[in-house]
Amino acid sequence: MPLGFETALGEITLVLFTTLAPSGIVACAIMAGVLVFSPLGAAERIRINRGLCIPLVITMVGLVASATHLGSPANALYVFLGVGRSPLSNEVFAAVLFLASCGLYWLFCFTEKQYVTAQKAWCVFVIVTGAVCVGAIARAYDAPTIVTWSTPFVPANVWLSAFAGGPLLGMASLRVARAVCLHRLASKVLLAVSFAALVANLSVLAAQSIDLFNIWNGYGTAASLVPWYPAMVVLYGMAGIAAVLFVAAGMRGGKLPSASKLGACCVLFFAGLFVVRFGFYMMHMTYGVGI
Amino acid sequence: MTQYAFHFDATRCTGCKTCEFACKDYKDLDADSAYRKVYECAGGETVRDADGCIRTTCFSYPVSISCNHCDSPACMQVCPTGAMHKDDQSGLVSVDEGKCIGCGYCHMACPYNSPKVDREKGHSVKCDGCAERLSAGESPVCVEACPARALAFGPVEEMGKLGERASIAPLPDASLTYPNLFVKACADAQPSDSRAGKIVNPLEVL
Repeated sequence: MPLGFETALGEITLVLFTTLAPSGIVACAIMAGVLVFSPLGAAERIRINRGLCIPLVITMVGLVASATHLGSPANALYVFLGVGRSPLSNEVFAAVLFLASCGLYWLFCFTEKQYVTAQKAWCVFVIVTGAVCVGAIARAYDAPTIVTWSTPFVPANVWLSAFAGGPLLGMASLRVARAVCLHRLASKVLLAVSFAALVANLSVLAAQSIDLFNIWNGYGTAASLVPWYPAMVVLYGMAGIAAVLFVAAGMRGGKLPSASKLGACCVLFFAGLFVVRFGFYMMHMTYGVGI
Repeated sequence: MTQYAFHFDATRCTGCKTCEFACKDYKDLDADSAYRKVYECAGGETVRDADGCIRTTCFSYPVSISCNHCDSPACMQVCPTGAMHKDDQSGLVSVDEGKCIGCGYCHMACPYNSPKVDREKGHSVKCDGCAERLSAGESPVCVEACPARALAFGPVEEMGKLGERASIAPLPDASLTYPNLFVKACADAQPSDSRAGKIVNPLEVL
C-alpha cells in the first residue's frame, strides 16, 4: 500500500467533509438566489424555503463529520482565538457563520406571516456567508510548509468541485420543492454551470497530477504517495460526466427529471468526488520529512 | 529569554538509536510513538566501468532529530487554538493540553514530522526538550543517553558555535522555520536541496 494511503484513511472524515460541504453550501446559495431573484408565488416561496433544509443538512453532515476527527472537541471554543492567524480557525469561523445564517433563516421562514423583504435581505447574507465559507475551506490547508497543498490547484479544486456539485444538488432540492423556475431557464443554466465547472476541475486535476512528479521530499516524489491519482481523476470524471448526462437526458423535450433521479445523479457525482478527495489527502507532504 | 537548541554531530552518530529509545523509555511511549527519530539517508550507486573497475558513489548517514523548537514554528502558526506555544523563558515549543483540540494540523504542517495526535489522550504530543529535567539543571534524556556524544543541548549561542543551522538532507532548508538545531555535517552529508539520497527506513520513522 502506498505511504499516503494511511494518511488519507486517518482523515476519512475530512474527505467526507470536503466532498459534501462546499457543494452543499453552493446549493444553499443557489436556492437563496432563487428566493431573491425569481418571481415566486407565496406557496412556491414557502416550499423552496422549507426545501432549503436539504442542502443545509448535507452541509451539516459534512461539518459534523469533520468535527468527529477532533481528539478533544470540548476545547473547540478555543478555535476562535486563532481567527485571522490560523487558516483552520478561519474555516471554522466561516462555517459557523454560514450555518448560523442559513439555519436561522430556515427557522425564520416558519413564521405564519411571510416577511418577504426581510427574507430576501437575509438570503443575500446567506449567499455572502456561503461564498466566504467556501473560500475559507479552499484555503484551510494553505500552509507554506505543506508543499503538495500550498499550490493554486488546491483552492481551484475546492471551488470548481463546489460549482460542479452544487448546481446538481440545488436542482434536486428545487425539484423536491416543486420550484416552477426549473421549468424555465434555471435548469439549463444550472446544468451548464455544473458541466463547465466539472470540465474545468478535471483540467486542474490533470495539471495537478502532472505536477506531483515535480514535488519531492526525503521519501521520494509526491506522485509515489498517490500512484493511483490519475485513475482517481478519471473515475471522478466518468462519474461526474455520467451524472450530468443523466440529468441532461431527463431534460429532453422540455421535461424535467424526477427528484429521485436527480438525487441519484447527486449520489453518483459525490461518489466520484469522494474518490478524488481521498487522493488529495493521500498526497499530503511537507518539505523535509513530513508525510 | 534564553533560547535553547540542540546540536547534532553527524561525524559521531552511528545511528544506534539509543537516543530514540531512551526518550521512548523516559516518556513511556508506546510502540507507535517516538519524539526523537533517527532518519537513515542513503543514495548513490556502484558500477563497473569500462576498465572493469568497481566505482561507487554510495553513501549513508543517520540524522537524529526531535522537535527543533524553531524560531518560526510551522506548528504554532497553523494551530487554531494557540495550544502549541513557545515558552517565554526557554524558547521550547510545547502543547497546552487544556487548549488542544487534537485536530492534527500541527502534525500536517511540521516539516520535521514532530508533533503527533495521541488518539487516546485526545491531544497533540511532542518533544518538550525535557523541560522538567532542564529546570532541574539536567540535559534532555536523549542527549544524556547518546553513547557517542553526538547530541548536545544548551543555549543557542553555544550550540551555534558547534555547527551550522540544520540544512542537510533529508531535512528542509533552515530558512523555512529556522530550527534551533545545529549540525556538524559528516563527509557523506548532502545539502537539503539534494535529491541524491532518500530516507531508507520510512517504516521506522512514520
